Amino acid sequence: MRIVRFLVRRLLQLVPVLLGVVVLTFLLVRVLPGDPIRTILGPNATPEDAAAARARYGLDQPIVHQFLDYLGGLVTGDLGTSIQSGTSVGAEIGLRVGPTFELVVLALAVALVVAVLLGVWSARHADRAGDHGVRLLALVGNSMPEFWLGLVLILVGYSVLGWFPAPSGRVDPDANLTPLTGADLLDAALTLNGPAFGSALAHLILPVATLSIVVVAPLLRSVRASALEVLHSEPYVAATAHGLSGRTLLRGYLLRATLARLPSLAALVFGTSIGSTVLVEYVFSWQGFGQWALRGLLYRDYPVVQASVLVIAFCYVVVFLVADVVQAVLDPRVQI
Amino acid sequence: MSETVVVGTARAGRFATVLIVTGSVILAVVALAAVFAPLLTGWGPTEIDPLGTLVPPGPGHPLGTDANGMDVWSRLLHAGRLDLGIAVAGVAVAVVAGTALGLVAGYLGGWVDDVLMRVVDVFQAFPTFILALAVAALVGNGTGNLIAVIAAVNAPAYARLVRAEVRTVRESSFVAASVTSGASTFGVLWRHVLPNSLTPVRVIAPLNAGWAMLTLAGLSFLGLGVTVPAAEWGAMISLGSPDVVAGRWWTSVPPGLVLLICVLGFSLLGEGLQERAEAKRR
Amino acid sequence: MDTDLLSIEDLSVVIRRPGREVAALSGVTLRVGRGEVVGLVGESGGGKSMVARSIVGLLPGGSLASGAVRFEGDDVLRMDDDALRRHRGHGAAICFQNPRGALSPTRTVGRQLTDRLTTHQRLTGAEARKAAEEQFATVGIRSPRRRLDAYPHELSGGMAQRVMISLATGCAPGLLIADEPTTGLDVTLTREILRRFRLAADTDGRGVLLISHDLASIAGVCDRVVVLYAGTVVESGPAARVLGRPAHPYTRALLRSVPDVDGRAVVATPGAMPLLKAAPRDCPFAPRCAHATAACTSERPPVSWVPGAAGDWTLACFHPRTDELAREEPAAESSGRGGAAKEPVLEVDDAHVVYRSRFGTGGHAALRGVSLRVAAGETLGVVGESGCGKSTLAKLLLGLVPAARGDVRVAGSRMSALRGRELRRLRTRVQMVFQDPIGSLSPRRTVADAIAEPLRALGLSAARRAERVEALADRLKLDRSMLARHPHELSGGQAQRVCIARALAGEPDVLVFDEPTSALDVTVQAQILEVIADVVRDPARGSVFISHDLATVRGFADRVIVLYLGRIVEEGPVEEVFGNPRHPYTRALLSSAPSLGDGFSGPKITLTEDLDDTEAAGPGCPLAARCPFADDRCRTEEQELRPYGNTRAACRRVPEIPDLLKGSDIRV
Repeated sequence: MRIVRFLVRRLLQLVPVLLGVVVLTFLLVRVLPGDPIRTILGPNATPEDAAAARARYGLDQPIVHQFLDYLGGLVTGDLGTSIQSGTSVGAEIGLRVGPTFELVVLALAVALVVAVLLGVWSARHADRAGDHGVRLLALVGNSMPEFWLGLVLILVGYSVLGWFPAPSGRVDPDANLTPLTGADLLDAALTLNGPAFGSALAHLILPVATLSIVVVAPLLRSVRASALEVLHSEPYVAATAHGLSGRTLLRGYLLRATLARLPSLAALVFGTSIGSTVLVEYVFSWQGFGQWALRGLLYRDYPVVQASVLVIAFCYVVVFLVADVVQAVLDPRVQI
Repeated sequence: MSETVVVGTARAGRFATVLIVTGSVILAVVALAAVFAPLLTGWGPTEIDPLGTLVPPGPGHPLGTDANGMDVWSRLLHAGRLDLGIAVAGVAVAVVAGTALGLVAGYLGGWVDDVLMRVVDVFQAFPTFILALAVAALVGNGTGNLIAVIAAVNAPAYARLVRAEVRTVRESSFVAASVTSGASTFGVLWRHVLPNSLTPVRVIAPLNAGWAMLTLAGLSFLGLGVTVPAAEWGAMISLGSPDVVAGRWWTSVPPGLVLLICVLGFSLLGEGLQERAEAKRR
Repeated sequence: MDTDLLSIEDLSVVIRRPGREVAALSGVTLRVGRGEVVGLVGESGGGKSMVARSIVGLLPGGSLASGAVRFEGDDVLRMDDDALRRHRGHGAAICFQNPRGALSPTRTVGRQLTDRLTTHQRLTGAEARKAAEEQFATVGIRSPRRRLDAYPHELSGGMAQRVMISLATGCAPGLLIADEPTTGLDVTLTREILRRFRLAADTDGRGVLLISHDLASIAGVCDRVVVLYAGTVVESGPAARVLGRPAHPYTRALLRSVPDVDGRAVVATPGAMPLLKAAPRDCPFAPRCAHATAACTSERPPVSWVPGAAGDWTLACFHPRTDELAREEPAAESSGRGGAAKEPVLEVDDAHVVYRSRFGTGGHAALRGVSLRVAAGETLGVVGESGCGKSTLAKLLLGLVPAARGDVRVAGSRMSALRGRELRRLRTRVQMVFQDPIGSLSPRRTVADAIAEPLRALGLSAARRAERVEALADRLKLDRSMLARHPHELSGGQAQRVCIARALAGEPDVLVFDEPTSALDVTVQAQILEVIADVVRDPARGSVFISHDLATVRGFADRVIVLYLGRIVEEGPVEEVFGNPRHPYTRALLSSAPSLGDGFSGPKITLTEDLDDTEAAGPGCPLAARCPFADDRCRTEEQELRPYGNTRAACRRVPEIPDLLKGSDIRV
């Protein structure tokens, strides 16, 4: 019951932030130096054509009017129409979100497991060779340009070894995959399409690897630092001094205390992973949400930019909200 | 009977020193190479070899040429100027601006704090790189603009960091002692609160400079940062990326590697400083 | 068969850190038998905690240890990991200092106890839970079953200490080690907690090693005491003898440094404990010792029997003292300084302070109608237990918190009437010396800078400031070389001298001392008390001395007020209040005050324990729920301060109390 009240209160607190985001992007997009009409009509369009197109997208209205229209649309769930493609922005998002989610969720899952296992191990072997090695790897991962890492993996995995498919698309078109959710691996599993599943998996491995490597590094550092702090903390020393067994110490006194410090950090890392996703999608021609949003930005496609910024901001703040809840579950001192 | 028992090993404080020294050396080497680039290569960074594009590494071009026929080695060296310069300048501006805002918000509290922190909230409702993308698309991609982009996306984090620190320091008894000694608000801020609130900033700033380089290179890779023909590692990787599928490694692997090493230098430095700060705290 | 439970033989520990070495222990020998309570005393840096850590095999990484720590014959220093795990907890278990910090915050206290029970007593889950409930009841936790599911942050300090004791005893150890178990606890609780350790020795036959800096508190429960100084044992023997008639000059210095409620004077010993880099080749106390000779500085005194004493009483000194520890008479000068006739420099009139809760609904009243006045040349003592509003009162006097009602007047000017520059001016007329001396100095400013702070605000030139700073340093016996140092390079005593110098710099009308010695070691505390006694003697200035420790207040206050839950319950001349307390609360405080001497001589009473979940919210006397004399009228009638002889007390039954004391058996 408390948790529901907490969630409602927090969601209400999000409203002003998101409203700020809406206003800000709306204004910023319109003072962008580019002009979306020029980009779709091409250089040979007459001023009359441009004016007609402008009227079609409502861009001839006063800016306050445009904003109220947009806001009205938002309330009814209408995100507008893409100037570039002429299709509904909402429908496009539906199409693009699945593949991106699949990528991000898989990468985060891999990264979380690796980070926790390796981080705790490293902290328990602090200042020995193995620990130094892990720390160095984490530092390298932390300094890694993800787009370059993706290229190197393509160079090795596709161009040299030929083990993985070419970096274009997410599944072999010949596999006849029926799209359901847009997440290809999931769709293949749901439709029991074996060849498509194999193809989707093969396409996923390199981008997931790229993304997990850059995501695991900061997580690993945090887990190690947190575990180290717990290991040196008074409660842990007290438990050790009372002769508790290694298993009890690990489960009862190290793990939860370590993880309790992490949710907000993990949320932050998730945030950086959104940025990385845009780059990774670009490198692997993933045709997901990130690439779509990027194209919108480059072509000054107002509705697309506004919608994608809003979606990203919403995801981001919701992840922080989830982090707070997880934190409260892990740490009894946190009152929600 | 009375032989000596050695218990474990001392927690090494040396590792921190190793990290700091290694990081500094890396950065010094990269910076020097960038400054003295003309001495290390015969080619100009934007000079086109009329004899060929995509020439593999060989005697004339130690790292070959790119799709425009420019010498990769020369561009690699020169690129450090833009990469390091923009990242460091951007972070410096972010530190100064963020610290000032955080100091004011944290010490004054009340509505000033509320307003500033809500603005920071809106900024921080976006992942840094996404924000950088949006702002870069907005302001365009001159050098000064890119410095502004780096500064704008990083300043909110410093504001928040310093504010939190200030709120702790504000409650300490040395500030109370200063206030009751009749010091003015500015005096308390300048002489006591500020110097004691900067420790985390000192640790974060080098790490941040590294991330700023990654941000800049990422922008350039997508065409929103520095653009070819200017020499910049991200732009070089971008230009070389189509070659990868064809197995040509020299146009994109070396700039990425140098970028990685340079950012690693900042990371090592930051990690070392952090470890040292923590050792002091224990 | 006749092995001691614990026998430490010639234990030396050197801690190696990059760039420095510290000889934490040098040739320590001590033993603890079954059913015996041994006190390990001395000041911080003496090596007390290191002894505790060596017994459970938890020496810090990089230590070099020699000698032996024999537990039931086996050497802990040379145990392998398995043997060590069995020894820890079941052999020797530590009760950690700061129990709230030592309990795992993410596990219920019940689980933490059952972890110990299942590990060391081989109980199954259900049995362990039942045993845990009993264990909690034994250490005096009310409604133990409910408490099993509590997390540490939900417990009060006293409750957490009880849980910590149950955790340690839950391991069923042969030896129980208590590391400063009463730090931060109020006197009443201190006594009860210490009794638990005595009980553990008497009923369960455990050995108990009681580590403490608080000699007065542990004096009553120990069979023997061991005194550590700079990592060496300087004296050890039966508690009554060592604490009653100490033979080693350090033990004597230690005992004479402790203020006592019986009002005897504190004698300070100059100097500070050295931090040794290697095992000493001389007597480490020699530089501070009045009896030191050439032999003391050239040779380390061997451990020998105290001459002429029977029993197990040894010391390491060439010149043992055998005479009675001089008990100087209470300082006579505090009387006869009638400050009341003089102009008051500080007046507080019916002040209320309310801390608003974050969202503006309700709030917590920290002070409820406090009035006081301090005349020039007068010292007012303020005593009370934690949470009574002492610190809030200090903040109020300094203008750091506003009064919700009532007023503070400094040198005749009303604080609430002033703003901006004038308020800043007035604030400088009141200066405070804080509890944590190092924390009250800005870490990145030099000592000279800190002392000059008030002078800077007065607009003095740099040259004049430097001049004044040097004069102040001289007055407080601070070496001038220290002026260029930073706070982290100072010892606690030096830092507190700097803070006092800073407070004096602007020649304020009022000095407020907020627990100025509670963070300091005993001999340093005595030195600082001496400095403060000198400073408050200034006839132009009034002083307020706030402390939870009645004994320190008695030393030099002229008048004293006793606070309870934000109200003044008693007020009067110090001799009167301490000699003939009117209010039951004051009497109870004095009754439970630890003492090495005669202590409080009147009839003693104890209050029922503070029920932490029932805040006194009713209209009546706030003490009614705990007071042995409370009747129905006490519970419903508000109590106001009324005069009784020289003093005023907020209790309507004062005239009846002498009879009540005789008539009942509440005497302890």
